[in-house]
Amino acid sequence: MWNSRVITPALALVTVLASASLVIAQPASSPDATDAGKAVYKRANCFGCHKWHGNGGGGYGGDALSLRKTELTRDQIVETIACGRPGTGMPYFARGSYDTSKCYEMSRQDVASQIPPEGGTFLRAPDIEAVADYVLVHIKGKGDPNHDECVAFFGSTSRVCDIHKVQPASSSSSPPSAGTAK
Amino acid sequence: MPSHVKLSLKSVLLATTAVAASCAVLPARAADEVTQERLLGSEKEAGNWLHHHKNYSATRFSSLKEINKENVKNLKVAWTMHLGGVEGGGIWTHGGLEGTPIVENGMIYVTDGWGSVYKIDARGGKGVLLWKMDPKTDHDWAGAVACCGVDNRGVALWGDLVISHTLDGRLIATNKETGQVAWQRQVADPDKGEVITAAPLIVKNTAITGVAGAEYGIRGWIAATDLTSQKEVWRTYTIPGKGEPGSETWKDDNNAAAAGGGSTWVTGSYDPATDTIIWGVGNPGPDWDNQYRPGDNLYTDSSLGLDASTGKIKWHYQHTPNDPYDYDSVAENVLVDIPAPNGQVRKLALEADRNGFAYAIDRTNGKFIWALPFVNKVTWTKGLDPESGRPVEYDSKNPVQRYNASVTPHRENKVADICPGNMGGKNWPPTAYNPDLKLWYIPVIESCNRITVEESTKDKLKPREFWTGGGPSQPFKITGSVTAIDVTSGKIAGKLETPFPNLGGMLATPDLVFTGQPSGEVMALDAKSLQKLWEFNTGGGVNAPPMTFSVDGKQYVAILVGLGGAWDKWFIDSTPELKRIQPGSMLYVFAL
Repeated sequence: MWNSRVITPALALVTVLASASLVIAQPASSPDATDAGKAVYKRANCFGCHKWHGNGGGGYGGDALSLRKTELTRDQIVETIACGRPGTGMPYFARGSYDTSKCYEMSRQDVASQIPPEGGTFLRAPDIEAVADYVLVHIKGKGDPNHDECVAFFGSTSRVCDIHKVQPASSSSSPPSAGTAK
Repeated sequence: MPSHVKLSLKSVLLATTAVAASCAVLPARAADEVTQERLLGSEKEAGNWLHHHKNYSATRFSSLKEINKENVKNLKVAWTMHLGGVEGGGIWTHGGLEGTPIVENGMIYVTDGWGSVYKIDARGGKGVLLWKMDPKTDHDWAGAVACCGVDNRGVALWGDLVISHTLDGRLIATNKETGQVAWQRQVADPDKGEVITAAPLIVKNTAITGVAGAEYGIRGWIAATDLTSQKEVWRTYTIPGKGEPGSETWKDDNNAAAAGGGSTWVTGSYDPATDTIIWGVGNPGPDWDNQYRPGDNLYTDSSLGLDASTGKIKWHYQHTPNDPYDYDSVAENVLVDIPAPNGQVRKLALEADRNGFAYAIDRTNGKFIWALPFVNKVTWTKGLDPESGRPVEYDSKNPVQRYNASVTPHRENKVADICPGNMGGKNWPPTAYNPDLKLWYIPVIESCNRITVEESTKDKLKPREFWTGGGPSQPFKITGSVTAIDVTSGKIAGKLETPFPNLGGMLATPDLVFTGQPSGEVMALDAKSLQKLWEFNTGGGVNAPPMTFSVDGKQYVAILVGLGGAWDKWFIDSTPELKRIQPGSMLYVFAL
């Protein structure tokens, strides 16, 4: 363990240098403090129901709520991820929810048949906070999904974002969303 | 680097490419060329399995009988092969296997969920992978608009080519010998929510393609591609354009028809006597808000008879007009000839519909002959009119149908429990038909589920977003059965209840039927009594139909194993025990 402590400053320096060179080469790729949260959003399959853009929507799995339109605070988002939503398909992602730690002041016995499903992966507290911060910075309160946001999520190796490209004004009767072509 | 060095390097590379190219176009041995004559006479090649549904009539019946009810108890694993394609993409965490292997002269062709094609040499009692063609499917582009899983149901053969589809909408021709892609063409457009999961049907030098996407606001179609010119010969929309016959059955002010669904994601059948392709059409969209789209919504939930040369619709038969349940009629139509009371022959098309009724119609004109419920519980209607086959509650004067109103989901009854559930009494897993016993075997989902309606408005319709008008949930346990129907009488001849829904489909041989369970078991049943005679647990989830072939004079039964599809994402709460089934991708081959 002492070993890692010793090399940490060196690693940090390398990271800073690498980031600096990236910033110079390509301003759009500047490091994002919520990248870890985005990784959790993917790993825990949040996008399987809420979609990459967070709007959720109906479909075969029922209605996943829109994280763009959510009015939940950071604490409430953290709690919802840890505990799920009783009586809905929103799973709980913290190990021990309703057992070693109560959720919404309820034990497993209290919540009974309304217990939400168990998440496909368990997240630790820092993971849950990271994904909550990702939702707050990149999803909550945003308007229609745009091309930049899509590419930021998927990268540019797939055609998945093509429909969000801004159309030339003449070919579109409705004004394009907030996205700007680069 | 001096330029002449570059040039010579380039010429060396070009020369190598030229040699490779000439290898790639070497013709297959003439005996292996697949022609229309061989496809028409596929039953003469008893050891082969040339069509997705075994033959143009889609019976999935093999005359092979080395494995029979006397000795099937000795059936054991001959060999297995791990395949790929388990990875996720879009909204999916993993792929699954739903394909039917195609076998020609000892060579097996299978696909995984992402559309990779594998050629396996099955001679000599073992399986050797000869090549894999990976189409590099765009996972996120396709996977984000695949309603019901990362699925591909297999290939077809033509000339020296293997013809396949990809989830991201391509038709691909691969050289059978080399595994090199000969050509490909984009047939469906995932930007519109269109994807492809069905195997192609080959008719007279054309590949017939069906499309999925009725949950994403597509306007469905069936398309034919000329396999020589690689050009589209025809494309028939399953929802009529403005002014075309049938367009009057879309009575709304929303232009609902333009996004009205009608997908075609199960391979159809072909009647050479009348040059007619018979193909099923899926649900209208939005699935559960039929008030958004008043009218019968032709040709959703219908069986279509199409002129194979032009794609022109010759006839249609609609099962659930103005459907508020998601009761697709995409299922395969099985073409069967039965002696009629007047001494003539009835030319039937059999279809086991998601609405829980099995239908026999006259495949020469689309007229109703008989129907019966094949599931244990139907609640959405009190029954069908014996003359027309229409649900008895159907009212042509009312543009919005309520059927058995107390259980039908609609805007004033937003939470409703329906039986069958929206996966239907039978989904895509294929039936099989024994022409000797005249028994038709249906892989059944015995189910109810709960629908919650969300009112659709035009502004909610967005490209690549769900367009369902609500969604299902699973408060009820779902089981399954194999149900046999005597086609001479139109009555149920037997039913074997199973603990889990049948998500794989059927194979019939002279005195056996084979099927599987999503809990892992592959089983053989007595063709008459449905008594279970043999079972093997694969340790994975069976989500694909069994098939049989022979090579070196020995009979084998093959099945792909790997639970994926819609069930383990959307419907798993109805079968909680299946949550323990792991994703997988494996070919099992059995022999005596």
